[in-house]
Amino acid sequence: MSKKTKKYSIEQKEARWGLLFTIPCVVFFAIFSFYPIINAFITSLTDAKVLSRTREFVGLKNYIYLFTKDNGGFSLANSMRATLTFTIGTFIPMVVISLIIAVLLMQLRKNKYRGFFQIAYYMPAVLSSVVAASIWMILFDPRGLFNQFSNFILLTSGKDYGWLVNSSMLQASTMIVYFWKYIGYFVILFITGLASIPPTIYEAATVDGANRWKTFWRITLPLLKPTVLLVSVMAMLQCLKTFSTQYMFHQGGAARQPIDVITMNIYFTGIRNGRIARASAMSIILFVIMLVLTLLQFKASNSDDVEY
Amino acid sequence: MKKVLLTVLAILLIAPTFVFAQGEKEDENITIEFWTHEDANRQKLEERYIAEFIETHPNVTVNVTRQSSTKMIELVQTAFAAGQGPTIFNLSINDEYPFMDAGLVAPIDYEAVGYGSKAELVDAYVDGMLDPVTVGSDIYGLPLELTNWSLFINKNVFKDAGLDPETDYPKTWEEMLEVSKKLVLRDGDILTRRGFDFRYPYYLESMVPMVEQLGGALFNEDGTEAIIGEDAWVSWLSYMKNWGPNGENLGSPTYKNARKLFNSNNNDIAMAMTGLYQEARINNDNPDFYNSEEWMVVPFPTFENAVKDVAACYYGHYYMVNSEENEATQKAAWELIGYMLSHGEEYLTNVNIIQPTKALMNSEAYHNMPFSDVFTTDFERGHVVYFGANSTEIQNLLRNAVESVMLQDESPEKAYLNLKASVQELIDEE
Repeated sequence: MSKKTKKYSIEQKEARWGLLFTIPCVVFFAIFSFYPIINAFITSLTDAKVLSRTREFVGLKNYIYLFTKDNGGFSLANSMRATLTFTIGTFIPMVVISLIIAVLLMQLRKNKYRGFFQIAYYMPAVLSSVVAASIWMILFDPRGLFNQFSNFILLTSGKDYGWLVNSSMLQASTMIVYFWKYIGYFVILFITGLASIPPTIYEAATVDGANRWKTFWRITLPLLKPTVLLVSVMAMLQCLKTFSTQYMFHQGGAARQPIDVITMNIYFTGIRNGRIARASAMSIILFVIMLVLTLLQFKASNSDDVEY
Repeated sequence: MKKVLLTVLAILLIAPTFVFAQGEKEDENITIEFWTHEDANRQKLEERYIAEFIETHPNVTVNVTRQSSTKMIELVQTAFAAGQGPTIFNLSINDEYPFMDAGLVAPIDYEAVGYGSKAELVDAYVDGMLDPVTVGSDIYGLPLELTNWSLFINKNVFKDAGLDPETDYPKTWEEMLEVSKKLVLRDGDILTRRGFDFRYPYYLESMVPMVEQLGGALFNEDGTEAIIGEDAWVSWLSYMKNWGPNGENLGSPTYKNARKLFNSNNNDIAMAMTGLYQEARINNDNPDFYNSEEWMVVPFPTFENAVKDVAACYYGHYYMVNSEENEATQKAAWELIGYMLSHGEEYLTNVNIIQPTKALMNSEAYHNMPFSDVFTTDFERGHVVYFGANSTEIQNLLRNAVESVMLQDESPEKAYLNLKASVQELIDEE
């Protein structure tokens, strides 16, 4: 019986190569994301402590505890409130304003100006979060720039607006730092999306007599839908995972309760207090929240493929 | 098949040689990971001690990691959690106790640290100093420093405010409030000079004694009930609320640490609560100020209606050794600790830290230290800081209570109830 040589179509061949190229990524994901998730889930079902070398299976006890008790004064409910407040207060303005800035930058005729602003907006993103938070702590100090600016704008003198003291101001402070740090990153993503829209479509619109406002709403925004979805999902997930700004502010003396986002509660519960099983349960809950919100966003966006 | 079998047998024959050779090599070359908190003066000394130790122990390598004391707490915990704890570390006893409780630190090798027996070691130290690190018949740590806090006064700031530091310094917490009101400078609501401010991250050390002065306690005698004495706790929380931005606005945890500002003598802080070690730091940072005699140390204040005279708690930073290291490494680690701690008088004169041996506490060097008598008196008025498996969590909960009244304008009564419920939950869980 002669051996049959299997014939693959070009598409199948491409798919095999594609699979080959994705293997490193899949392996990386499996080791650094999937394994920790599984491990955290298993740990969350035990009574493990950081400094203990033994653990026992306790079922859903940690989850029940988190939803019924206040976790030694730092409840999961308060952390969910802090996380959602931060996420809504940061990611919506970040998506909207980064889109506006990207559109404005695309209007610049000279590439060198556009390049300059892109770099200027992006620069904070490369700065370490810890360094950024430390700089902003100085700016939010009662003698710092923000308080002086507030006094100047509101025509007051020597008033302490309590940027790091008042609960609402403290939450706003963390949002400002995050917004400043990541806006440039999302501007770049939007610019990439905007650049991929063929100029012929705009030319046709201009010929048809559409003004800039109409062009934006009727052409740019609909064709940018996949980018908007990508940016909003990424921004939301990043906001849900926020940690270093809140942590640094708390280390600098700010109260923990108003900014006790889930990740910070995980850190304090797991590392400082050594209750790693309870912290793992919290991280699984955060994972589920992120998953559900992402699915909802995909559903709400009704994102069909955009074709030019 | 034969060939394969022969190869396997040959490997099995040779393998133990490699394994044992590896073991011998490990015995010969020992690496000690030594983690400690930052102190520029101590660093100079320890670098020299380590170099001297390596000269006599050429097979030992010592890798030193220095971080701030607050950062070190997290680093050590995280490292032990990952099974990668340092060979030698030191933290404040209330942060170290959980490691003893979990069996992660090794008992002292008495001979390696330079004592013939346990009895000889115990006899060398002031009574009670090794109690916090004694479990059953074993001792698990040796004190690098025993610290208590008194009140440092900058006389220049007092004079600038028209006060006489020698007579007007605060003896009570009520006077502290009044004197601070006279010392503060403000630009509107914004403090540009503070009279005094607390050591905010260290509530067990400096604030629990204030509650005890008022008749309160952290626990009842048998340790079954937490946060005892509602009136005392509410009074203390009311005092803190009044101190903060929502009260008299005399200070806040969000301002820069008073102890760190004190040395620069920049007319921005008049008083700070700190230990004898601060004297060496002033000398190091600002020798002119140190030599100016424009600073002094006075006792830890009490409340006017105090029912008990209690000064700030003393705490020890104990050197401990990781029990997960092999025996040879543990022995070398204790030898290094013993060698370093055999220079108690040099630690005292150069770094101003006290290793509470009887010899040192009775030495002329200690008695000649400026204001050492104030620290000795406050030491006798105080007691060791609370330490237990949950001490880190309790420290966090005290912090939360203070922050809630000072920064979030919570009522002291509500903050007390929350604190009591949270600490009670912790001890009930045990």
